[in-house]
Parts: sequence; structure tokens; C-alpha cells
Amino acid sequence: MSSIRSRRGRRKVHKGFELQLTSMMDALVIIVVFLLKNYNVSENSFTSPPGLQLPTSGSQDTPNDSVQVIVTSDALTVEKERVLDFIQTAVNAGAKEATYNFKPTDLADGGRKVVPLYDALMKAREKSELLLAKSKARVDGKPLEFEGILAIQADKKVQYTTIRRIMYTAGTAGYRVIRFLAMKRET
Amino acid sequence: MLKRPSCRRNTHQDPLELNLVPILDAMVTLIGFLLFTTSFLAIVAIESPLPVSSSSEVQEQLKEKPLQLTLSVREKDVEIWSPFQKIAPKSVANNKEGQIDIKAIHDALLEVKKKFPLESNAVIIPLKGTSYDDLISLMDSVRQVEPTDLPIFLKNEKTGLDEPVKKLFPKVVFADLGET
Repeated sequence: MSSIRSRRGRRKVHKGFELQLTSMMDALVIIVVFLLKNYNVSENSFTSPPGLQLPTSGSQDTPNDSVQVIVTSDALTVEKERVLDFIQTAVNAGAKEATYNFKPTDLADGGRKVVPLYDALMKAREKSELLLAKSKARVDGKPLEFEGILAIQADKKVQYTTIRRIMYTAGTAGYRVIRFLAMKRET
Repeated sequence: MLKRPSCRRNTHQDPLELNLVPILDAMVTLIGFLLFTTSFLAIVAIESPLPVSSSSEVQEQLKEKPLQLTLSVREKDVEIWSPFQKIAPKSVANNKEGQIDIKAIHDALLEVKKKFPLESNAVIIPLKGTSYDDLISLMDSVRQVEPTDLPIFLKNEKTGLDEPVKKLFPKVVFADLGET
């Protein structure tokens, strides 16, 4: 009698715990489909610094990598390197709106050219030309020409007078095209 | 002698279970890859060539008296005009909030495009205090054809068919870079 009972008990031994993966699979498939639908490979390394409010645009053109100037409320940055600080006076230090005033020593050509920006853009240009010279890509045996594209990322409140100085300086440094960056407008 | 147990009971098998673990591994890897490579920051660009100081080619073009559509931003309005009087100057007043009336400017430019469907250049002369936001909105209204706009057709030289114009005046140039 006791032997039969022990056999029955043995038969009731539970199998190992099995995780129900089906619902998890469902969730993962939905995530994969969502990500594939919104998949957008970026051809550039543009990132927006925190606090910078870019305007929105209906343009469909995604920018390629190029030299980039970022205008933040307190400084100008070229290729992630701070090239100049705007004047911070007692008046604008506590103000909500940034003023983007240049130091007189940073300006030349009657206030149109920003000297530290010019130096940084020339440096970026020389670097780019050096890379093109070393590259194997050739046109008629000559290295590819410097594209001369400058991308500008600025807060939506930045005034045209600041943008114009950057554009003028870019022109004197041999840049030919200005690429204004903005956030894509949701349609 | 005991009765032989039913073979039907003995041959009962558990339902076949699919091994989901490798699929799960692949899914997790795929999600990781997609999250890592996708760009959630959707940055777009508007290109504007810097004006060229009058070369011989430009001088030749100027002899033909082009439209040279110009938008001059002023304190209370935006004037749409042509230096060669190809169009009648039109002033678009700012809206009630004192902002540039982008919609009215766009509508006015659509009318110009109907008259000059082959034209692709526009010149903008902003105020010193015009914000970057207004500049981008203005350039958008000059360059883009909105889906709600009435289509403007242009004959394709190759196919001979009328095709809707996709861009309004895509080549936007700023005119007053040399000013102080």
C-alpha cells in the first residue's frame, strides 16, 4: 500500500517553472514595428545643446555633415569649441532675453566681421582641405574641392544682426553656402 | 490477473511548445540596434548661397532684367517687389500681433509664381531685429509649396506633360550682408 502511494506522489512532481513568453513577444513585435516605422538614420552628427530652442521648419532637406556654428545665449561655438563669449552686462545678466552683444575687440570690418569666428572657420577649412588632399577621391587627378558649407544652429530669438555677422564672416573665410538648421515641423 | 492499462492513456503527449527564446534574443538585439542608430532629433536644413560679388556672369544676367523677386522686411509690413518693375510692388501688413503675416506673404508669392513659373530665385532683406524664427518662417513661405495650395502647373520639357510645381522660389539669398 505504501509503495503505491509513493508512486502516485512521484507522478505528481511538477515540471520546471516555464515563463509565458507569448505576451512579451507581442509587446516586442509592436516595439520593433514602431521603431522600423519611425526609423530615421541620421547622416549627420548634429546635436542640439540643451536650452537652445530651434525654430520649426517645413523643409524636407536633411543636412549632411558640415562645419557647424551654434549660437547659444552666452557664446558662439564652432565644431563644439567655444570661440567667443557674448558680453554679459549687469543689465542683461538678470534679463530673461539674451542680448548676443559682441565685444568690440572681437569685431572688425566696421563691425561686420567676427574675428575669433573667422579664425575658427579658417582652421576648420584648413582641416577639411587637408583631409580632402589626403583622401583618395580625385577629380581629374586633383583632390575634391572644399564644399564651403556652414551650418548655423541658433536659438529662435537670435536676431538677424547676429546671423548676418556670422554669414559675412563665413563669406570672408571662403564659405559659399549657409545652411540654416531647424527642427522638422510635424505635419 | 489485472487488466492491461489502456494504451490511449499512456501515449498521451504534451502539446508541442515553440522555443521562443532565440527569437526573443533576436528581437532584443534588433530593438537595441534600432534605438541606438535611429535619430529622434529631426533636424532639417534650409540652404542659402552667399551672394556673389558681381561677376561677369551676373552682369550678363542683369542685362536681361530678371524678376529678382525681393522681400523687404519693414517695421510694420513686408514689401514684395522687383527692382526691374516686373511685378507691381505689394505691401503685406503685419498681423494684429505685430508679427509677419506669413500666410498672406505666401499667398502673394503664389500669385507671382503663377506669372513666373520658371523663376526660382528670391532675395530677402530682413530688419536687423528680425528673429531667427521669423527668418525661417519667411524662407519656408518663399521656398515651399504647401499641400493646401492650389497647384501651379509647369510643362515638363522632356515629357511634354503639365506637372505641378514642387517648390516656389527655392533659391533664397540675403541681400544686405555687406551693411553694417
